[in-house]
This record gives sequence, structure tokens and C-alpha cells, in this order.
Amino acid sequence: MKFYIKKERLIKSVQDALKAVAVRTTIPILVGIKFDADDRGVTVTGSDSDITIQSFIPKEEDGEELVEIVEPGSIVLQARFFSEVIKKLPELIVEITVEDQFKTIVRSGNAEYIILGLDAEEYPRLPIIEDGDHFSIPNDLLKSIIKQTVFAVSTSETRPILTGVHWMIEDSQLTAVATDSHRLAMKQATLQSEERNGKSHSIVIPGKSLNELLKVLDESNEPIQMTITNNQILFRAKNLLFFSRLLEGKYPDTSKLIPTDSKTIVKLNAKEYLEAVDRASLLAREGKTNVIKFTTMDDDMIEISSYSPEIGKVVENVKSISTEGEEIKISFNAKYMIDALRAIDGTEISIYFTGTMRPFIIRTDYDDSILQLLLPVRTF
Amino acid sequence: MKTKQERKPRIIFHVDMNSFYASVEMAKNPELKGKPLAICGNPEQRKGIIVTCSYEARKYGVKTTMPLWEAKRICPKLIVRRPNFDLYRKTSRQMFDLLREYTPMVEPVSIDEGYMDVTEQSIHPLQLAKIIQSRLLHDLDLPSSIGIAPNKFLAKTASNMKKPMGITLLRKREIPTKLWPLPIEQMHGIGMKTAEKLRTIGVFTIKDLAQANDIQLKSLLGINGIRLKERANGIDPRIVDPDSIYDYKSVGNSTTLREDTTSEEELLSTLRMLADKVSARLKNKSVFASSLSVMIRYHDWKTHTRSKKLENPTQNREEIFQEAKKLFTKHWTKKPVRLLGITGNELVDQGHAYKQLDLFSYEKDAEEEPLLQTLEQLKEKFGENAIQKGITGQKKDNLANTSFSKDFLLDSVKRERD
Amino acid sequence: MKDSLEQLEIIQPLVMKRLKQALIKKRVSHAYLFEGLKGTGKKDVAKFFAKSLFCEQVIDGYKPCNQCIQCQRIESGNHPDVHVIEPDGASIKKDQILYLQQEFSKKGMESNHKFYMIVDADKMTGKAANSLLKFLEEPNAQTTAVLITERVQKILPTIYSRCQHVPFSPLPKKKLEQQLIEKGIKKEKAPLFAKLTNNIDEALSISEDDWFLQAEKIVLKLYEILSKQKLEDSLIYLHTTWNPHFKTREQLEKGLDLLLFIYEDLMFVQIGYEKELTYPDSLQLWRQGALQISKDLLLKKISFILEAKRRLQSNVNGTLLMEQLLINLQEGFTFV
Repeated sequence: MKFYIKKERLIKSVQDALKAVAVRTTIPILVGIKFDADDRGVTVTGSDSDITIQSFIPKEEDGEELVEIVEPGSIVLQARFFSEVIKKLPELIVEITVEDQFKTIVRSGNAEYIILGLDAEEYPRLPIIEDGDHFSIPNDLLKSIIKQTVFAVSTSETRPILTGVHWMIEDSQLTAVATDSHRLAMKQATLQSEERNGKSHSIVIPGKSLNELLKVLDESNEPIQMTITNNQILFRAKNLLFFSRLLEGKYPDTSKLIPTDSKTIVKLNAKEYLEAVDRASLLAREGKTNVIKFTTMDDDMIEISSYSPEIGKVVENVKSISTEGEEIKISFNAKYMIDALRAIDGTEISIYFTGTMRPFIIRTDYDDSILQLLLPVRTF
Repeated sequence: MKTKQERKPRIIFHVDMNSFYASVEMAKNPELKGKPLAICGNPEQRKGIIVTCSYEARKYGVKTTMPLWEAKRICPKLIVRRPNFDLYRKTSRQMFDLLREYTPMVEPVSIDEGYMDVTEQSIHPLQLAKIIQSRLLHDLDLPSSIGIAPNKFLAKTASNMKKPMGITLLRKREIPTKLWPLPIEQMHGIGMKTAEKLRTIGVFTIKDLAQANDIQLKSLLGINGIRLKERANGIDPRIVDPDSIYDYKSVGNSTTLREDTTSEEELLSTLRMLADKVSARLKNKSVFASSLSVMIRYHDWKTHTRSKKLENPTQNREEIFQEAKKLFTKHWTKKPVRLLGITGNELVDQGHAYKQLDLFSYEKDAEEEPLLQTLEQLKEKFGENAIQKGITGQKKDNLANTSFSKDFLLDSVKRERD
Repeated sequence: MKDSLEQLEIIQPLVMKRLKQALIKKRVSHAYLFEGLKGTGKKDVAKFFAKSLFCEQVIDGYKPCNQCIQCQRIESGNHPDVHVIEPDGASIKKDQILYLQQEFSKKGMESNHKFYMIVDADKMTGKAANSLLKFLEEPNAQTTAVLITERVQKILPTIYSRCQHVPFSPLPKKKLEQQLIEKGIKKEKAPLFAKLTNNIDEALSISEDDWFLQAEKIVLKLYEILSKQKLEDSLIYLHTTWNPHFKTREQLEKGLDLLLFIYEDLMFVQIGYEKELTYPDSLQLWRQGALQISKDLLLKKISFILEAKRRLQSNVNGTLLMEQLLINLQEGFTFV
């Protein structure tokens, strides 16, 4: 294998791939980054087996030559070391040559490094993209789907399936659900599908992978292509591929757990309400429980209060836009409420209660694609 | 004791530490003295709130629970410190130890205030108050206010009349002149909501309350209304109880087995008996345990104690038994056991014990909701204690006022803000 | 590589036959428990099994090709869906368990096919065993787990009952001796090494261990001194030569084993089983010795050594133990 490449692009691609490389790994080959040179250009791959990031450098872009392939081939090079090396190279062009026994020579100007590489054949195989079902989604929509759900995944390993976000796709309609069993976040969106058969999918993507994906996605508005295979999901942006393994097992059926009727509906100015909850929670947090109490009062007033044995009590009244139905006095974890309100991001929100010990939902009239559900806290 | 109490008028002190957290900080770091100081949960965050502040800061209008940015705006020179609850707890213990040097009849109400019954002390109460106040200042470098009165309510009212470093004597005969003119919301035990309700029946001052109509009060506030009226008239039968609510940190029972045994059956049945006892005591004190520990003493006197944080605070006997059993079976070395014990730790008061409901299991709790709602309605009608008594059936009369003392505690915090 | 498969078929014919049938009939279970003594080929068989399951060009329906990228990566430890958990020190550690739990919860990287090998599964803590149990209760469709243990009685019953049991038979001594001789070990020495281990590689490494060769000489010398009936001499020998060599408990245990084999040999000579000797090159010496001692006394001496071995486990002082043993072995030595 031998090719010449623009240093800037190589550094950028290596850094992208490096985001997927774990510091410690049980699979020895994954300490490396894989380079594949073929007639289209150079592909740089990094992986920790959970996620895999591939960055592609085409031979040519906008009429500018980025890579010159002398001899196609593949090699795996120690990731951290190689990324340090290329940053220090003196010239704008880097020459990479692989000789016998994976001996790799990295040249730039007068600088020359000899690195012992690893056999690229040993590197994990990635799913073949053509095999899966394809969808397309605008970049910013994908980001908001992730942001509005992923915070609600469980961080505990006791029920591993809940550490992921459940994606159900039916007739190009995506429903994403995440729950740690104390709150639930749901977002719906329409995908562009190239499929005609309208096959449905039900997959669970690890929350950690989605958080990593958020870091990798840029600001561009180009749509993201998605491919779902048996065991992985792939997101494809321009010159960048992001793979994530899927979780094993059946996600619990949450659709039946979301209440459809309500006894009390409180409509609030989201910002005022969020600030009041935030203030109350500052005190609640000192008491380590972070529980606040929400009470409907006369004249559409809502009392937000919190008590901490160490400090005392804070009470604040918020005027609701409207309060309908039965009176309610309910306690909940302030952090969950704040997370939910931030995810909804609307000017007005409505809370639908069905009882002090039953889940309640938060929605906004302006965007019915998003729903947040909270389980209250029972007080003894 | 009881008959004696009825005959002889009591002398009750209410000792209230002045801006306790700030004072402790100043005692530790004298450079802070005389400067506006605030204790704030997250000083780095502008959004943090003031937990408490020194009198110097209060002069600028800084108040408890005020956001830090606002406090800084009205008092730019404000010095901000992070709370050090361990130190406050330690200092609190020293303070109560000091009070107990004069009488064992000390009842802590919160970290920084408590009642003393000094009826049996030969020294003149005013003299004694002066000694205690100066010792608190001298030994611990902490300012305090002391109220002296024939009962808890009046003592508490008195201590609040002059801060900081006040000693106020409130006699029963002074009630019409000193207490009655005050607006109703300044009375202990009356929060904003109660005050609002009282105003609807034309009660604006404490005098109005003292002379209000019993039936009207009862229908408005339940049995609590009558009690408040009594207090407005200077009547408060609550005694100073050193074993009362605030001061215990754990509830535990242990038992020595008839003989050293390795019989799992016997050990588990002993654990069940202990769990029942601990549960009953927790219920009696209206508290919930947030963590549990099991003590195992072996035949050779080697003793192991193993603790576990509970997912949700509990006072339920079956839950306590199951958790204790888990701890025991996990740590028991199969050697002969001489003694077993179960202790509930990190106690939280009834009304402040929480359980985060779970999406996949909340139905179990929700089933109890209708019953609890009925209880709630009864409570409003007949007063909190009537129902609690009904449930536990064994509450001591003098302990039945926990919610009241709590209100006092809360109220004093609220007042600090106002 | 091909050799090793054939070798496995020789040393564990029943195991190999059973796995071969499962592979050919495509009736592979979710969980196997490989149980058997050290050096009986459990790990090698597990690796063969993994290769057979992943190999792209299986021969005769069960033999891995050892050429394809799947086989190669299983050999090098780079296969992302083949996981080997081995105790890191005394037990399987917390982060290894966490890794295992997380792996169980995910689909495979390359396909839905996954393979787990858990070596010394008895060294799992309760927590680790429970997470494994959870998996064994609801196995994923295309996952195979192989648990390996030398101490099957230490496996939780709940785990034990959910696995297919594959017992590995101890290697026949004579077979191992034969293999050792083929590898260049002297005929007279092969029985001793075969007696000390079931593993051919371990036997070979013992044969090159200077400490061990020295130990063997010291033990034989001790026997000679003992047979001369001078307690003082043997005690002096104990302090001057024996103690400096057998310093640790493990070393002392080996020393006692070597001593025990001598008395066993005497026994074999007495009952005419001279082909079974552990030290065949000392046959002449044993014949002399066997004549000087009654069968009962010999049995008594063997039981003294066994007793010493047992007491060694309970942390007793090594020198005291040996002194006691020498006195016991010395007493009642009678010449005919």
C-alpha cells in the first residue's frame, strides 16, 4: 500500500475516527485505526466495538486533489501514537507506505517514521450497507430526536434494555422512546424512506452511542442517511459513517403505559414555570432528595414548594394560564421535571394529571410530536 | 409528675441560636465577624440560593432563599461561603451538651434551637438565661436569643422578640399587651395559608384569634383552629420532652439469643421479631428509615455490623425484615451467633419520606390512593393528629404534636425570610 | 494446528465426539460446562468449538479450517464477537463482570452470533454468577457460552442446572508418559513427570526446572538417610539441606509428594507391580528397602506422609511438621 495525502485532511479524519477508539480494550486490534486505500480514496476507521466511526477522504473534492493512491491496500496503525505523529509532521503532504510484515513508513519532508502496523485482516468486519433498510432524515431533526429522548435512558445495568432508546419505524413513521422507569420521553418524526414495502422495525440503540453521535454530527443541513441491519445501525453524513451496535432483547411495551385521559390539566408559561421549579430544586437538592411539591390553588395559582430539613422551606406561587379539573397536590423529582421542560422547549406547556400516584404527561400545544412523562414521588 | 406539673407553673426557656450557620462560620473564621456573610449551596453558580446570612447581611436586605445574584446586587460586598453541614451538626451537638449541663430537660427542636424546662432549677431564671447565653458566646463563640415563659409557645414567641443576643421574659399577664397586637401571620404555627384563611373570618391580629368563635375556627381549620386559639390565649400544655422528635438519629433493637446458635431458622425468626419491634418504634416516632444495619455478634464476641442504603425510606415490618434478612444471609459466616440487632438509620420524618414511583410498578401504590384521599379529607376535617392517632393507636399524647413543632421550625425559617 | 485437533480427539475422544455430533446436527446448546482436571484440554476444546461455530469453510461439518479470517481472529484474540473471560488474579474482577453484563445486553458486532468462554467459572463472585445466570435463563438466539472449571462442586447449583455438562476425563498416565518419551524425556523419568501433572506442556517444563531436579535428589537422599536409622542425621539433613530448598508451602508440598511416591514405589515392589513405579531407575534400591519393612508399617508410614500433607494445608509451621514426620518415619524401621 502506498499513497500521498493532504496532511490537514488526514489529521481531521484520524481525529474523527479516534473518537470511537477506547483507551482500554479487550480486543487487541482495536487499539489501532484502520486505513483502507482504494481507487476512490482513503477510509479511516476507529472502533471500540460498540461504536465505529469511518471517515472518508475522497481522491478529489471540489476539483482539488486530496489523495494520490500509488498502490491500494490496508493497514492498522496504533491510534494514539499515529495521531500524535501526523500532527508533528513538517510538510503539507504525507506519504504512507506499507512494506513487508506491516512495516509502515510515514514520510513528510525530511521527517520519517517507521511504525509497526497490524494486519488489517484482523480488524472487525462492518455490516455491508446494502444489506439493510434505508431511511433519510434531516440533520437537525435527527439531533432533536436524540436530544429530546436520550436524557431519559436508564444508567443502571439492572435492566440493560432500558439503557437504550427504542426506535420503532412503521410506514416511515419513527417513534423514539426512552425511559429509566421514573420518567419517559417520546418523540415522533417522519422519515424519508426508499423502501416501498413499508417494513416495520423495532430496534434499541444504546444511549451512549446516541450521545456520541451528537458529538460527531456537524452543523450542516444535509440529510443523514440511516441504514438498519440485523445487529447495527448506521448513520451516514457526508464523508462520515457512524455505526452503533444495537441492544439485545425486547423493549417493554410502553404504549399502554401512557395515560390517555386526565383529571387535571394545568397550562403554564414554560419559562416562568421552569424557573420556579429550578429555584425550588436548588433548595431541594441540598436535602439530597430533590423532591418538590406542586399544588393547585384558587384563582389558577400553582404553589411550588420544597422542604429540606437542614435549611427550611421555599414556597413560590406561579400563575397558570389555565387550570382545569380537580385540585391536585403532587410531588415529583425536580430534576426530571427540569429535564422534561428543557426537552420540550416550548413557550407554553400543559401538564395532564390523572392522580397523585399516577404518571402525568407534559406536552406543548405547538408541537404534538413530543411527549414527556413523569412518575410522581409518593410521600409517606 | 403530672399532678405536680398542673399545680406548679413551669419555667420554660426557648434557646434560639442567631443566624446559626453564619455564626458557626464566623466562630471558625473570626475574620468574617462583622461582615455581611451568606451561606450558599453553590457559590460558583449565580443561581445558587442563600441558605442563611449574618445580621450584617440582613441589614442590606439579604434574605434566606434569595438567589445569590440578587443578594450580590443589593449587597456587593457580600462574602459567600459553602455550607459545611458536618461542622454545623458538630457545633449543634456541643451546644445542646452545654445546655444539658444545667438540666437534662432539654428538647432539641432543630439543629439550632431547643427548649429547656428549668422549673426545678434553684437559680433565678433570668440569671440562668444570662449565664447560658454568655457561656454559649464564650465557649462556642455563638450568639443566641433566649425566651423565658411559662410554656413552650410563649417561650418561643419571647425568644423571637429580641434578636440577636436577646433575653426576653414573657409573662402570662403580658399577653394582651405584648402578644395580641401582633398581626396574625406573626404567630408561630400560623403559615401564610392559615393566615389567609383566618383573615376571611375577620381574624387579623392575635387578639382577634384569641377571641374568635370556636365553631367558626373549627369549621375553618379543624381541631387545629381550637389549639391555635388556646395558644393565642397563652395556653400550651406541651411538656419539654428530651426524647422528642428531633434528637434521635437511629432506631434499633437487639437481642441476645437464649444460647449461641447456628440454626438459620431460629436466627431468621429472631430477625423477624426484631424487625417488628423496629417497625413499631419507627411508626411510634412517625419516622422512616433510609438505611438499615444488621449487627451480628458471634460466640467469640467478634461483632460485625453491615449497613445498606434503602431504595426508599420505610417503616414497614415486612420490608425491614426482608432487607435485614438479605444483609444477614449475605454476611453471616455460619458460625454460632450470640446476639442479633437491627437498626434503622438516616431517619426522615413522616411527610418527608419519599418513594420514587416506577412506571412498571406504580399501580400497586396507586391502588391505595382512594383510601389515602379519604384519610386526607378526614385530616382536614378533624385535624392531623386525630387521624394519626387512629392509625398508630399508641402515640403518646405529648408526642402528638410533632407536626406542630415542625410548623414552628418551618415558620421560623419563613419568618427569617419575611 | 491440524495436529492439535487430532490430539484433542485422542485425549478426549468422548468430548470431541459429542461436540462433533452437536455441530454436524446443528444442535448446539446455549451453555456448556466443561469440567475436568487441570491439563485435560478444556480450553483447547473450547477454542476448537468456537472456531467450528464461526468458521467460513467448515470441513466435514465440524472441523474448522484454521485458515479463514474467522478462525485466525479467534486464534489471535481479535474476534469481536468471541469473548474470553479469565480470572485476573484470584477471582474474576468487577470490571470483567461489568464488561460481561454489558456484552450480554448487546447484539454481536459482526453478526448476531456470539461466543463466550469463561475460564475458571468457579472463581466468579456471587454477583458475577448472578448476571451470568440471568443470561442463562433467557439466552439469546445465537449465543453460545462455555464455562470451564476444575472445581465443579463450586459452581452455583442454579448455573450448574442450566448447562450441558461435558466431563473431561483425566489423561491416562501411560498415554502421557508415551507422549513425554516421544518429546525426548528419558524413559525412566517420564513416569514421575506424568504423575505430577496431566498436562504435557507442564510436564515438559517441570523436566527443565532446576529447582525440581534438585528437589528430587534431596528427597531421594533423605530416604537413604532415613533408611540408615539415624534420627540425628536425618534431622541435621533437614536443617542443612531440606529446609533451605523447600521454602514455601507449595515447595514443601511438592517435596512431600516426591517422598510419598517413594513409599508408594516400595509398596508396588512389595505387591509385585514393578511396572507402576514412579522412580523406575531406583528399582534396585526399592527392592532392598521393601525387604526391610513390613506391609503394615509401610502403610503406616504412607499414612504419616498423607497426614503431614493434610496438616500442611492448615498453616502449620513447616519445620515442626517435617521434624515430626521424620521422627514418625524413623520409628520402627526394622531390619529383617
